[in-house]
Amino acid sequence: MTTQTIQPAAATAGWDIRRVPGIGGLALGGIAAVLILLWVGSDGYKQTLVTSAATYALIALGMYVPYLMAGSLSMAYSAYAGIGGYAVGLVSSKTGLPLAVAWLVGPIVAALLAVLLGLVTRRLSGFFLAAVTLLFGMAFTAFLIDAEALSGGSGGLGNLRPLNLFGWTPSHYQVVLGSAVIVCVIAFLLDRLRLSPWGVIVRTMRDAPRAVEAAGVRVPVLNLVALALGAAIAAVGGGLFTYSAGSITPDTFTLNIVFLAIFMPLIGGAGTPWGAVAGAVIAVELTLNFPAIQTSGTLLLALGVLAIMLVAPRGVVGYADKLRTRTWALLRKEPDRG
Amino acid sequence: MTDLQLWLSAVEMGCFFGMLALAYYLIHVGAGFFNFAIGPYAMMGGLCTSWLVITYDLGVWPAAAAAVAVTVVLAAVTELGVVRPVQRRSGGGELPALVAVAAVLFAIQQLAGYVFGYPTLPGQSLATFDPVTVGEVTVQPSSLLMIVVALLSFALSAVWIRSTRTGRLLRAVGDSNRAAALLGLPVNRIRLIAFVLAGLVAALAGILFAPKAGVNSLSGLAWSLSGFLAVVVGGTGSVWAPLFGGMLLGLVEVFLPYYFGGQAHVYGMLFIALLFFAFKPQGLFVRTVRA
Amino acid sequence: MAEEILLVGRGLTKRYGGVTALSEVDFQLRAGEVLGLVGPNGAGKTTLVDLISGAQAATAGELTLRGSKLGGSASRRARAGLGRTFQYPQLALELDVRANLLLGRAARRHATLWQMITGAFVGALRPRVAADEAAVRAIANELGISDLDREAGDLSLGEQRLVEVGRALGQDPLVLLLDEPFAGSDARGVAGIAEVIHTVRRRGHAVILVDHNVDLVARLVDRIMLLDRGRVVFDGDPRECLASPQMQSVYFGSEADDDDAGDGSPRAEVQDVRS
Repeated sequence: MTTQTIQPAAATAGWDIRRVPGIGGLALGGIAAVLILLWVGSDGYKQTLVTSAATYALIALGMYVPYLMAGSLSMAYSAYAGIGGYAVGLVSSKTGLPLAVAWLVGPIVAALLAVLLGLVTRRLSGFFLAAVTLLFGMAFTAFLIDAEALSGGSGGLGNLRPLNLFGWTPSHYQVVLGSAVIVCVIAFLLDRLRLSPWGVIVRTMRDAPRAVEAAGVRVPVLNLVALALGAAIAAVGGGLFTYSAGSITPDTFTLNIVFLAIFMPLIGGAGTPWGAVAGAVIAVELTLNFPAIQTSGTLLLALGVLAIMLVAPRGVVGYADKLRTRTWALLRKEPDRG
Repeated sequence: MTDLQLWLSAVEMGCFFGMLALAYYLIHVGAGFFNFAIGPYAMMGGLCTSWLVITYDLGVWPAAAAAVAVTVVLAAVTELGVVRPVQRRSGGGELPALVAVAAVLFAIQQLAGYVFGYPTLPGQSLATFDPVTVGEVTVQPSSLLMIVVALLSFALSAVWIRSTRTGRLLRAVGDSNRAAALLGLPVNRIRLIAFVLAGLVAALAGILFAPKAGVNSLSGLAWSLSGFLAVVVGGTGSVWAPLFGGMLLGLVEVFLPYYFGGQAHVYGMLFIALLFFAFKPQGLFVRTVRA
Repeated sequence: MAEEILLVGRGLTKRYGGVTALSEVDFQLRAGEVLGLVGPNGAGKTTLVDLISGAQAATAGELTLRGSKLGGSASRRARAGLGRTFQYPQLALELDVRANLLLGRAARRHATLWQMITGAFVGALRPRVAADEAAVRAIANELGISDLDREAGDLSLGEQRLVEVGRALGQDPLVLLLDEPFAGSDARGVAGIAEVIHTVRRRGHAVILVDHNVDLVARLVDRIMLLDRGRVVFDGDPRECLASPQMQSVYFGSEADDDDAGDGSPRAEVQDVRS
């Protein structure tokens, strides 16, 4: 009896923040976010860079779940981000509903569409899946241009209402701040999800789907859930970008962004979702904020991706982690020798 | 435009897609995967030719020869510098190869944009004779050349695969790279030949097709998808199968917009992809395996 | 004590085109029983395991588990109470041993669509489940797996098999199917697997053990089924099996060029579980 009463107290006393799963990534990510926001200050252009980076990061984080955890490369993410964006545009221009509703509707619609596309392509993998989902992204753009009554055609939707959260309307800087917070929260949660039982099952689907099936989980169904989750996250990013840019057109989310989103985790490191975030920041810095060789920023990025794939397959975060472990090992060995 | 003129246009388009599909086919038979960088190879061929002609006032033929050489080098670099090392490290999984090829595709696009600029350049026609008129149909010299070269490349590939030692080895190697290596076959050399030939075919296709609608650094992705679709629709059962798949897509590309409006071909492509991938991923012409 | 009949197979048949891999196999498995499945290469052992576990669809025949029909996908059968290992280990090679072991326990909580959806949110909020971790440690102890932090890809083949057995054990299956668990194992691995077999039968559940190594299997099981070219040629006491004429003809008969009857597998001293 006594041990039972003591145990909870002991557990509380033994609770150690350093042992919270994913806390290390969150701490580093948070520090980086604060530094970036300090660098940005009140500079309007730099603020735009932050919201762009946040959007890229959210699309890459959305892809992280099916692509790097479950191992299937779906490339329809321009459509999912677009849905998130058009949800904001449509709720603003066609309804009297509060704008916040768009962030509920957009991700849900994107998730449902991902399930639908996932059902149709359930037998496909690898190159076939990539091709079909790319074509789907193209067809979605074509649809946005064609369906003028709904989407405003190639002109898109603009003049969005400001967000009103229970009487509070965030300033532009607060939106920038908010987008950084959202990215950090989602990256932190995905990092934890990766370690969780759910994450373990999904990651096992990648190498050993037969084992997952033999353990009692229906792999095709779980795959759909992973796709839906990814699409919903990308839609949040799409909504965020549309709101801070104030408009959306069929060209806002191009296939280019999808390609970049494939490479971001490679640049940053595929081992953790924070790698995708780091990759997004680097991608935005190179493609949008590289005044010296502006036109070649994307080329530099593309060549960098190839180089990383060949030389440092663990990416920037993985490389830093290896460096850290080595340094620790060295520091610990030193006293023994001396 | 008469209906016959449309048919000619569809055939020309079909020949272009067919050649892209042939390039896919060669690499797929030899290396066992789909090289999505085929479209950018073709774009490189077309854009480089136009750029050399326009910027340096070079003759069309030397410009085309230079462009083909550049593309072939790119194809060889794809295999030697990217795909082979990545596959060696990852043990032949599909996803790493796919991501590597996507990176190559993206890099070639960016490279072309950086070197040649982003605007669309007009294509340069290799043939300079006057348009031929047959009945109500006017055949442009560039169309004629496209069709002739496409048929020639298919015929030569068929002869090469059937009658030469290297050609026959291509198939043996492609069935299983690992098994072929164990048998002591020159896997790496054969794969490299497949890549080089694919680069050559794709570059020719791009050069010959460019006069039709011009070419820019971003043309490659759509071409990649069309070529991939053509090779899937046709199947890899015979050398001529990709041409058949290309023709089918050519019809879709030309007639759907004609009857249903500007973007219909995009939906049509998606529909065909879903249809074939779901029900007949092995394509129309399947190679029968003898037991 | 009435011994409950756990798993029954009737007329299990598998044909590939014109080739019959398994023909009209009948068997019964009682609660607490360990059944050995032996036979030369190509006898149909793995095919039978695949048909039972649902990894392959049977051409004909039916299965019942505790009196109710057992069918459908592999995952459905797993939820009904089957656990298995694979002839070629199927592990997530980039994950550590702990995560691979965890899969067996976590799977049952992610069986329905609703559980899969909520599981994602629960997982993000509470990634570590103390009960799971304790169970994984207990299983690792039982199998003699000492380092839970190693990547599965760095393990030897024998160690990978051990992890697979542990993963299946985490499902707490009514029937545990072990497909050649000893190939590549060292003496410690064999002892660990023998221990697991002991645990399962103590719980009143059953084991089907497939292996080439007849001597080893005979020491671990209550009953042996000898397969040859897709047919059951002997079903009964292990000691009788070893001495039976069928055994002689299958392994040392006219085509006695078979090198499988004990190749490479360790002949570690294993305590007879029946004692």
